[in-house]
Amino acid sequence: MALREKYDEYQRPILGTISVIGFFLLWEWVATYVITVNPFFFTQPSKIAVAAKGLLFGGELWKDLAVSSKAFVWGFSLAVIIGIPIGVFMGWRRRAEYTLDPFFTALYASPLVALAPLLIIIFGVGLTGKAALIFLLAVFPFIFNAFAGVKSTDRLLVNVVRAFGGREKDIYFKVILPSILPYMVAGTRIAIGRGIVGIIVGEFYAASEGIGFAISRFGDTYRLPEMFAAILVLMTVAVVFTEGLRKLENIVAPWKAGQEAR
Amino acid sequence: MNTLASFYREREQTILGGGFILLLILAWQSIPSLVSLPKGISLFFTTPVEVVRAFHQLVVRNEIQSHVYVSAVEFVVGLAMAVLVGLPLGLVMGRSKILDAMLDPFVTAFNATPRLIFLPLLILWLGIGIWSKIMIVFVGAVFPLLINTYEGVKNVDRVLVNVVRSFGANEWQTMKTVVLPNSVPYIVAGLRLAIGRALLGVVVGEFFGASKGLGFMIATAATNYKVDVVFVGVAIFMGLSLVLTMSVKKIETKLTRWRPEAAKTF
Repeated sequence: MALREKYDEYQRPILGTISVIGFFLLWEWVATYVITVNPFFFTQPSKIAVAAKGLLFGGELWKDLAVSSKAFVWGFSLAVIIGIPIGVFMGWRRRAEYTLDPFFTALYASPLVALAPLLIIIFGVGLTGKAALIFLLAVFPFIFNAFAGVKSTDRLLVNVVRAFGGREKDIYFKVILPSILPYMVAGTRIAIGRGIVGIIVGEFYAASEGIGFAISRFGDTYRLPEMFAAILVLMTVAVVFTEGLRKLENIVAPWKAGQEAR
Repeated sequence: MNTLASFYREREQTILGGGFILLLILAWQSIPSLVSLPKGISLFFTTPVEVVRAFHQLVVRNEIQSHVYVSAVEFVVGLAMAVLVGLPLGLVMGRSKILDAMLDPFVTAFNATPRLIFLPLLILWLGIGIWSKIMIVFVGAVFPLLINTYEGVKNVDRVLVNVVRSFGANEWQTMKTVVLPNSVPYIVAGLRLAIGRALLGVVVGEFFGASKGLGFMIATAATNYKVDVVFVGVAIFMGLSLVLTMSVKKIETKLTRWRPEAAKTF
């Protein structure tokens, strides 16, 4: 009976683990005994595991990840540094909102990835082109979340600071900044997803190294196990970041703040 | 004078917003006549007038129509498939605890990852024809739809479900009378997100290994330094995306007017 209760308590993680393990076992079993796969078009978990071991313990994959991360960090930091002040300014000054909002909304709603070939031709296939693309994709979640955060600031708190003789600077640092924090976490989560899109597109399009380049090169050379392994690595990174930030979001803002992408 | 001031005050938002965009376009147009651009930059430079002229040329020479057609087919078929798969799966996951627990790891993992990384794989499997693009649109658009449908089903009012249950409704009738109508606003919001992802799939899918479509047009124009044609393509995608997302947003606000503000952004 106690076992039954334990099961009910942990039903979700248990079933989830079972289904993931079951999925890989079934895949392996089908690929080994039922349909013999053409190794040029499909592969199976055991081969992926071998390839993953090779990738993780060889230096190649780490080098690719390092190259991609560098571009990501540059583009992303620039998006934070430029996006947040613009968003705060837009939220704080009504006329600034009226002026900038339609323009930024139009840019946020459109697939800016379409500019990738142009950016890469202008900035080159190296770090700068990728960083520019990542910046362009990641800046708008920061703008709009900072904007929404400022908009949700308690007017009363602002008035209190004013009544006690606080300056404009005090309002920014003591009221607005703390109240936009939860929005910032949500913005970061969305921006990370868009930033990874930027990396992938930039590296698919024109690059000589990086994780996106590795995936497309493995595909071009029919090294399917390596390709799946690299995809799994990238998936793990994405899941860790987005789910981690979602957890953080629930801690800093249990009432669910933040704007969803688009 | 007074009427002019009140006219401005009434329409300040439109005037400032539209004025800023107009100003940017004018500034862009007048850059070449204000400063002489060095040769390296003028190669990448174009003006709005040239973009419009390029668009006109493409239409007159009947070059752009087939690109638009291919992109539209990929978009519509991929999105339709996403709706056909995402909606039922979201409904089922929302209603069945066991299926929810079993599928959740996969949905979470795929949703967190930009599905564009599957593009090389899809091209390998399906070739560079239209189907690899339809599939990339599909995998991009299906998850927002699935997850929003799921959220809608999860957020259904328990009391209403219990009422129809106690009056003897079976699962199908519960679904039809309570669950589905309740999740419509969520589904529409999911559709809006899905449209964005679908367009992303069309653009990026056509950049690589395609021989037709607007994305292909942009990519080839960029390699040939025809910057004005690049901007024609970008402008079409921007326009499409704006018109589609704004109209879905209109429907969304109509459907969610009665909803408290907090429930609108999920």
